[in-house]
Amino acid sequence: MKMPAGLDIERLYDEHAQPLFAFLLNFTRDEADTRDLLQEIFVKLAREPKLLSGVRDERAFLIRLAHNAAIDLIRRRGARDRTRENFAAETVSPFAPARDPDEKYFRDELAAALAELPAEQRAVLHLKLWEELTFGEIAAALDIPPNTAASRYRYGIDKLRDRLRPIHEETRKAE
Amino acid sequence: MNEEMEPFERRLSRQPLRQIPAGWRAEILAVAVRESRVESREQANLRPSTLASRLSTILWPHPKAWAGLAAVWVLIFCVDFSMRDKSPVVAEKAAPPSPEVVAELKQQQRMLAELIGARDTSDADRSKLWTPQPRSERVEILMA
Repeated sequence: MKMPAGLDIERLYDEHAQPLFAFLLNFTRDEADTRDLLQEIFVKLAREPKLLSGVRDERAFLIRLAHNAAIDLIRRRGARDRTRENFAAETVSPFAPARDPDEKYFRDELAAALAELPAEQRAVLHLKLWEELTFGEIAAALDIPPNTAASRYRYGIDKLRDRLRPIHEETRKAE
Repeated sequence: MNEEMEPFERRLSRQPLRQIPAGWRAEILAVAVRESRVESREQANLRPSTLASRLSTILWPHPKAWAGLAAVWVLIFCVDFSMRDKSPVVAEKAAPPSPEVVAELKQQQRMLAELIGARDTSDADRSKLWTPQPRSERVEILMA
């Protein structure tokens, strides 16, 4: 699939679509919205190939694009869908299905606990835990100060710990 | 900023995330490629050479009609230019009033003064009225 300006859109998709999908799904908690946002990002890249010229870290740049697009989407959604966001855990889980019942229970509870966090804390947690970015990298990707990234992570992880501690302890003992 | 992970955080990070649906790849890339082609076509249409070729495509089917229209416009411009008024501007600068005009104005002034009851205005005062002054001051004198 050749692009007029020589942009290798297939390579970009193969290298970055999966992490962007996971990030957007965790942020929006809606599969249709995630697809629309991914489409929007790749169309933007295809229409403006110069966006990536001079970019050193493609992943960080794309996460930033994804984050901005997701924020725009949430603003567009308005009050109706902000309510939906609060019940997102009931609709979409960002985690792969588990066979083991204990693990399934833990993932479901984790998905629900994540959904209760503010979207900005969830974004930082996602990038730290599942993208393994440093606070500096997260700060660059989300255009926030590193200390803000660190404090959002701390608040978020403390809430998850409080909520999931009993399950975490229980399943650890079982192991 | 301590970035070391505790066991709880490590456990969270080990949870596998959902995979992107396989069918999305073809759909998303197809739309992206189509959009990029539209974009590049739009940009190409804005280039001067393309504009000229498009213009020639429009003009080519009836060259005589377009030439005739152009000739009519040239004719209109020529006629308009030849009929333009070349006489100098009539009054670029106001000339000083002639003695007759001054006398007439004095008479009118006198009549006005009589009408408003200033019959005892002396000749000296009247002559003072006609020293050229700004319009606003003239009104004040008239009303005095």
